[in-house]
Amino acid sequence: MKRLWSIGLVRGLVGQILGFLIGMGLLSAVRAVMGLPWKTEPAWVAGAFGGVLGFMVALGAFKDWYAWALGRETPDIEEIEEEPGWRRYLSYSLDHKVIGVQYGVLSLLLLALGGSFALIFRVELARSGMQFLSLNFFNTLIGMHGMVLIISILLGFAAMANFLVPLLIGARDMAFPRLNAFSFWIAVPASITLLSALFVGGFDTGWTAYPPLSIRAPLGMQMFFVGVFFNGWSSILGALNLITTIIRLRAPGMSLFRMPIFAWATLATSIIALTATQLIGLSFQMVMFERLFGMGFFDPAKGGNPILFQHLFWFYSHPAVYIFVLPGLGVISELLPVFVRKPLFGYRWVAMSSLGIALVGFLVWGHHMFTSGMEEYLRVPFMYSTLLVAVPTGIKFFSWVATLWQGRIRTPVPMLFVLGAIVVFLMGGLSGPPNGVVATDLHLHDTYFVVGHFHDTMFGGYIFPLFAAIYYWFPKVSGRRLNETLGRLHFWLMTPSFLVMTFGQMWVGMMGMRRRIADYDPAQGFDTAHLIITIAGFLIGLSVLIFFINLIMSLRRGEVAVGNIWQSRSPEWQLLPSPAPMHNYPQPFRVVGEPYDYGLKGSRYVEPLTQPAGDD
Amino acid sequence: MMGFQQLDGVRRVLIASANPLFGRGLERLIRQQWQGRRFEIRVVGTMEETLALLESWLPDLVILDYDDRSLDRKRFMDLFVSGNRAMQVMLVSLQESGSVVVYDRRVLTPSQAEDWLSLSEPSGFQSPSSGKEQSFSMKHFAIAGSIVVVLTLATNYLLNTIQILPLQASVQAQPIDRLFSLQFMLIAFFFSLIVVFMGYSLIVFRQRAKDESEEGAYIKGSTGLEVVWTIIPIGIVIYLSYLGSLALAETRRVDPQAVEVKVVAGQWFWRFEYPQYGITSDTLYLPVNRQAHLRLTSLDVIHSFWVPEFRVKQDALPGENLERELRVTPTMVGQFKVRCAELCGTSHAYMESPVVVVSQADFETWISEQLQAIGADPATRGAKWAQTNGCLSCHSVDGSPGVGPTWKGLYGLTDHELADGSRVVVDEEYLRTAIVNPNAQVVKGYPANVMPANYQALLSDQQINDIIEYIKTLR
Repeated sequence: MKRLWSIGLVRGLVGQILGFLIGMGLLSAVRAVMGLPWKTEPAWVAGAFGGVLGFMVALGAFKDWYAWALGRETPDIEEIEEEPGWRRYLSYSLDHKVIGVQYGVLSLLLLALGGSFALIFRVELARSGMQFLSLNFFNTLIGMHGMVLIISILLGFAAMANFLVPLLIGARDMAFPRLNAFSFWIAVPASITLLSALFVGGFDTGWTAYPPLSIRAPLGMQMFFVGVFFNGWSSILGALNLITTIIRLRAPGMSLFRMPIFAWATLATSIIALTATQLIGLSFQMVMFERLFGMGFFDPAKGGNPILFQHLFWFYSHPAVYIFVLPGLGVISELLPVFVRKPLFGYRWVAMSSLGIALVGFLVWGHHMFTSGMEEYLRVPFMYSTLLVAVPTGIKFFSWVATLWQGRIRTPVPMLFVLGAIVVFLMGGLSGPPNGVVATDLHLHDTYFVVGHFHDTMFGGYIFPLFAAIYYWFPKVSGRRLNETLGRLHFWLMTPSFLVMTFGQMWVGMMGMRRRIADYDPAQGFDTAHLIITIAGFLIGLSVLIFFINLIMSLRRGEVAVGNIWQSRSPEWQLLPSPAPMHNYPQPFRVVGEPYDYGLKGSRYVEPLTQPAGDD
Repeated sequence: MMGFQQLDGVRRVLIASANPLFGRGLERLIRQQWQGRRFEIRVVGTMEETLALLESWLPDLVILDYDDRSLDRKRFMDLFVSGNRAMQVMLVSLQESGSVVVYDRRVLTPSQAEDWLSLSEPSGFQSPSSGKEQSFSMKHFAIAGSIVVVLTLATNYLLNTIQILPLQASVQAQPIDRLFSLQFMLIAFFFSLIVVFMGYSLIVFRQRAKDESEEGAYIKGSTGLEVVWTIIPIGIVIYLSYLGSLALAETRRVDPQAVEVKVVAGQWFWRFEYPQYGITSDTLYLPVNRQAHLRLTSLDVIHSFWVPEFRVKQDALPGENLERELRVTPTMVGQFKVRCAELCGTSHAYMESPVVVVSQADFETWISEQLQAIGADPATRGAKWAQTNGCLSCHSVDGSPGVGPTWKGLYGLTDHELADGSRVVVDEEYLRTAIVNPNAQVVKGYPANVMPANYQALLSDQQINDIIEYIKTLR
């Protein structure tokens, strides 16, 4: 019992239940004292807030900060030796690599869950007519599929960035290890709260939660809002930590333009996450308040305006798309030179294009609102700014292709996923301008074309690169390689199925299939196409299942990875054993060359410092 | 050249290169960077001198020309590793990379030594600008380029052949579809460009040799190329946006003769009101080749009006002050469906209503049928048309003065005075002319050109007759 209690996750979950009851009880008690009758919704919202707080308190996330407040000393990160073993992966750990893995596991769990939601409603959509879902449950599932996967992607980015950035830039750990642990752990009760929406009536608004629909939706809507709200904290605080780490903790000699390109991608991503996430939190909070307190922010009858919500919402939710894809594009740029054995073509341009996308990405949110009835004159400037995103994105594509040109290309599994990512993201990129041009978007908006388009960008920009990164860096986590054959099977099953799926989606969309409908008019002749899309979706599911089997098998029985298995120039492969030891580099290194000078014999990117750091 | 600042404590620098420009240039550079430090520099041009000075002068930094093939690296290496004084060797390349490699005698590893020795092999360091290399590259470029052209044409043909858009059934759909074809062309080109160069590289530049250490060409980038593929896409997107705004403007062109329809959306139904006729219908009837001016509103949540065959789409918002408009000119007689495109709750999927496009004559028949359903008495209907079409805001029915002459007691007058001084009898014929062509017989005391002259288009003959019947009753 005591050993069980020593696991942070167990304590946290118990704390969340207690916190929930306390929150609910406290509010109801206050209402009772005031002579007001029981009201379910406010009680649940108070409970949800209490639950998140209860989780964090019981976990011990505030312990060190509390000690500081009292003026007590706590050990520095370098002085903490955590007991190795699986327990620390389930507990409050300060090691960025452990936190990275924790993020990764939670992210993959949510990925499996969110993907399964899609499989359920794909069965429903395989034929016209309603098969086995109720209309409301269908609507809940599509909203859940969207938001659960968005959270999964945000956590997946955090996983990659947490695990890799300190290793890539030669830092001992993140700049703020305790904040780092807090950022991860708050995502756990937040995700539980989000999922609880399924059990309290769901919500029929989709992940966008547009009012006035979201004001009339069932109680599940509030759990959705609270869950997203706290996941936003995770994102904001994580981004703050990453920016500080990248700016302050680089190895000697690592000027900004000698950083690994993934660090650039992380920096650009984190700038967006740090500054834009507040807006989705705010917009959801306003709907929450409108439901709880009757504030008419978005209610025309009370002087509000439903369009206002869409502006606030998309001000985050469009740049969020770049939070999802920039890290993936960073992974592509990071791995490509290793397997092409050639420098990354136009390193500075690629690095700057990430910042360019991040910057322009802030000015384009209106393209989600071309048919919304916002002020008509706004549509044209938003069209110009939207299409401008194609320019930095194009720079990346051209630079990748130029990197491939005249290389000596090897195609182990990570490289397959990198190549798949480029092709799939290309499809996403090319299907973008028809949505970005107002006139053609009048037809495409809210159709399956958009569904196909953004699944291309999400898979090309995140899912494929994520798998590439896992196949590539898994040995740094576990000391073992993932199985190559299963990896190839995963790739060759997933890629064609995925392309078939999104081409099908785009086609039915162009032909007139609306988004988010539980049933479709058989007269439109989409039955066959939808059946194919569903089959392709299940093949993707199967391929991901193979990946999970590979992951679990290789963890115990995979081939042991010795040395620099990819012949990478990067410090984590050059200087560290696999798995990476606690506190990273036993001996600091300095940067003496360019990160991607493959093909230049005798050149080095990093070398260990023979004398203590700071000497030069 | 970052490397130089890091080399503290260096006193004696030996620069060895057969190329005197290299030696002198480097010497000047170091003297500039190390101003205020005490050190000596010697520049030598041959291998013998280099080796001699290495032993006699004991430099602590040797700078070698990376690209100098005359240097005997084996002999140099033997001397380099055998000594025990601290010494660093720096390799500087004058090729476009300008890269610098530093070796330290005390921490030299065997693999570094190997790299160092293999430098002399030409495969290790290929000059991208050599003539043979260039023609090799151009050949590949030409082949891949031709495949791009072929694939672009094929993809574009495919996109234009298979049916990927529903029927085109409105004037507004025409500029949109034209823009789609242009976009397909661009998509076909960029898709081919990237995919062909990728695929070509994967086949031609894959690693074939068993030798795992074989590396690709050392090409770091090209500012010229980057500028080109920045500027050209900027031009394309600006042009595309410009065309997009032109097409948008075309879809919004206003026709004053348009049929007015108020579209009311609710969970989960559509209702269509024809204010000119006072008809309410759950089917959207539209006359072909005549613009319909749809004014959209919602009773509850946000809905969106979309007939895929018409292409254009507009959300319907709740709130009286948030009415939005959409203009559609059907070009094809037939049955379509308006489908709600904005998730609006439980039965969103089923929020579809029929849209029927008919000829102008059939439209009028439909109107009169609807009207007959409203009431059999023409005068009662006429009162309604007069109300819904705004007649009564200028013409009173109780004799009080208005912008136009009152209708009370109008019918049957035998000495109705016109602006030109003539007097006419007010009969049915007079009233009809006054409605459809108001400027033909302007009444005395009232200015011309005040009453709209388009009631012929806005009202059906049946309606005009009804209004006349109504006026007859106002004695």
